[in-house]
Amino acid sequence: MSTSRDAILTRLRDNRPDPKAHPLPPVARLGDMDNGQARFENSLQILGGQVLERQEGDTLATAIARRFPDSKVICSAVPDFEGTIRIEDLGTPQQAASVDVLVVRSPFGIAEMGSIYLSEAQLHDLNSAAHLTQHIVVILSPKNLTANMHTAYMDRPEFHTANYGVLMSGPSATADIQGVLIRGAQGVRTLSIWWED
Amino acid sequence: MKVKPVNHAKAAEAFIEDTAHMDFHDERLWDLRQKRDQQMHILPEWQELRARASAIKEHTLANLPEYLEQFEANAKKNGIHVHWAADGAEHNRIVGEILEKHGAKSLIKSKSMVTEECCMREYLEPRGVVVTETDLGERIQQLDDQMPSHIVVPAVHKLIPDVAKIFAKHYHTDPNDDDAQSLAWQQRLAARPVILSADAGMTGGNFVVAETGSFVVCTNEGNADLSATVPGLHIATIGIERLVPRMADMGVFIRMLSRSALGSPITQYTTHFRGPQKGSEMHVVLVDNGRSHRLGMEEFWTSLKCIRCGACMNTCPVYRRSGGLSYGAVYSGPIGAIIDPTFNERKYSTLPFASTMNGSCTNVCPVKINIHDQLYKWRRVLAEHHELPFVKREVMYMAGKLMGQPSLYRAAINSTEVALSTMPRFVLYNWLNPWGKHRELPHPVKQTFHSWYKQNRLKTKKKEGEGA
Repeated sequence: MSTSRDAILTRLRDNRPDPKAHPLPPVARLGDMDNGQARFENSLQILGGQVLERQEGDTLATAIARRFPDSKVICSAVPDFEGTIRIEDLGTPQQAASVDVLVVRSPFGIAEMGSIYLSEAQLHDLNSAAHLTQHIVVILSPKNLTANMHTAYMDRPEFHTANYGVLMSGPSATADIQGVLIRGAQGVRTLSIWWED
Repeated sequence: MKVKPVNHAKAAEAFIEDTAHMDFHDERLWDLRQKRDQQMHILPEWQELRARASAIKEHTLANLPEYLEQFEANAKKNGIHVHWAADGAEHNRIVGEILEKHGAKSLIKSKSMVTEECCMREYLEPRGVVVTETDLGERIQQLDDQMPSHIVVPAVHKLIPDVAKIFAKHYHTDPNDDDAQSLAWQQRLAARPVILSADAGMTGGNFVVAETGSFVVCTNEGNADLSATVPGLHIATIGIERLVPRMADMGVFIRMLSRSALGSPITQYTTHFRGPQKGSEMHVVLVDNGRSHRLGMEEFWTSLKCIRCGACMNTCPVYRRSGGLSYGAVYSGPIGAIIDPTFNERKYSTLPFASTMNGSCTNVCPVKINIHDQLYKWRRVLAEHHELPFVKREVMYMAGKLMGQPSLYRAAINSTEVALSTMPRFVLYNWLNPWGKHRELPHPVKQTFHSWYKQNRLKTKKKEGEGA
């Protein structure tokens, strides 16, 4: 079983350049350190994401009903929103395909990219739900924005603890047919942010 | 029998003749290059990012055995099964055995250049496993029975009518559909049931983090996430050079990958896999397939720094006008031309010549691989190993003699000018001059620089000298 492993490692040891000539640079915190909501929203828009419109007196439920009027299955992965079904009740990864709108809370966003983070902790171990649902609504607090990719990887513990962690930056997209940009390819067709305090 | 070298020039000729396709290909890739430039100008720290990315990669490659062991130990702790494959055949056998153990007959997969290297589909399909590519471009290529023509946009050489015809044949859709949106929707409709009923999923890995035992996958369609999270079995096939030491290093690479590739700030999905999801099994196959050998090539080992962004392809004037398929190899473009000969020196001996040596590939490379230097060095190696075609070899030999002797060179230049202005076309444009096939030879000049200099400047210099 281990023959190839040992052969590969031995060959690498024999062939590698001198390790002393190639020191590891210290970790860097570079770039724009603005972690503001405006920067996040601008980046989000570049990648095709949206901010869910909040009219006077809106709750998340009324905002979703106005934005997705034809949706039948609205799945909640958060305790403070009801929906028509709870994510824990979906059962198998495949059953998430019946969901029209998934409502989930993200622990942090990245201002540089307009990215939101989700792991099995927020998806109640049903990671497929974030991708099989037609639309996703992500609850996010401006207090939980980090400036850029360096600060995210250096400061957020989730990258060291979650088994599955996805940064979603807008909806699924492709430009594989004659370079035409299409938002909503194989995964979610839209991604919307719902700001909370 | 000896394997024949890829005839890149001939394949490129066919590509060039189809003007509509070539023009689109050229413009589309140049557009990606310009979008990349816009992103680069937004970040004042761009050159520092490149320098850091290069240093991190070189350090990792120089310490690769230790980092691979560290990754393996951490991945195992996280519940990942780690396998090692010396070559493509071993990789395919390992994947086949995992699938067989699970009774898996259908495999959905995201794009992975390593599985292309290993010819995995060709191995699995006769063994009763239906393999479905889930990336739209890769799926188009699979249905059309072609290799990916670009490492990031695999079907970039096709136009809408080409895709409509392929989908009509396989998905029974309208062959005259001229709307990219509707064709992409057809793909979504066709893919969903396959994804939902798949027994196993497969992804590649853009980066492997030794510190955490994780691997990172970047896609725009989210198809890697679908492939990894819907079935109960996830196999990831990854080249051993993809390591980075620390999670904190990822910022440098993610900030440059998609900006270099497509000119978008980040891929829509950047996914970090650190262990199996609940109720699922996860396998990582670490593939060598020539990489450990390449690490020992003093002039070429830094090609292992490559993060597969494709920026060198998008900027290359030869690639843009000859198409990825003309390279006849898994990896095309400038990066392909320096990697492919390590797989088969004779078969890919023509590829390092598919360059104008303009150096643009080196300038756009986010990990600072000296691509055009390596193209030049490969030409020298191939000449030493007698892998040059006859005409090129003879011409190079004569050119070497000429350039080595200034008097001979000048005499030849003078007579060339005479020849260019007096000789009939059939003497100047024939099989001994492939350069002149699609180009006009330069207009003859009345006087060479050297003779002009002799007449004018030398005189002036003398006068100045006399005056002083």
